[in-house]
Amino acid sequence: MRKIVLLCNAGMSTSALVTKMRKAAEAINYECEINAYAAAEASKATQDADIVFLGPQVKYLLSEVKEKVKPIPVEVIDMMVYGMMDGGKVITRAKQVLGDI
Amino acid sequence: MEGIELISFKIIAAVGEARSSYIEAIREAKKGNFEKADALIDEGSKVFIEGHHAHAELIQQEANGEPVVPTLMLMHAEDQLMSADAFKIIAQEFIDVYRNAHSK
Repeated sequence: MRKIVLLCNAGMSTSALVTKMRKAAEAINYECEINAYAAAEASKATQDADIVFLGPQVKYLLSEVKEKVKPIPVEVIDMMVYGMMDGGKVITRAKQVLGDI
Repeated sequence: MEGIELISFKIIAAVGEARSSYIEAIREAKKGNFEKADALIDEGSKVFIEGHHAHAELIQQEANGEPVVPTLMLMHAEDQLMSADAFKIIAQEFIDVYRNAHSK
């Protein structure tokens, strides 16, 4: 069971993306737990996470978050993917990074 | 997904990325990398326009007599748009201050 954490400013728009991601994961039987949090909660929220995604609006936090959650992989969600709320693409990316393909 | 939700997300993604670039620009200026700072402001401005276009679609829709139903996500998008817009001005001022301090 993979644990995927999404971070953005207030965890608001990202929460909507989480719903799409859960549906996409369910459709392909990919077992994972997906949750969204505010970037300020990064340290606590990423405990035992397998991968962390940042919304494009907090891309500037990449190096800080990477340092904080080391060695968990941290990825920034592409603006187009985010804008289209393409949960499936984010799941695919998670699988690629985690070697689950 | 379609309509208001999709447009709201387009706005949030674009202006959010713009805002992030503006913050990165200030950080580069702080390190004395002014070329990089200016490039990040330009980059941010380019994506901001995409958000502005998505927003304009809604304004046109309303002007055409098709009411836009306000949702929490749309309010959030408006909020992000305003924040990014203001951030650009602040970032440019900060970069100028760092530039002045650097040349002295």
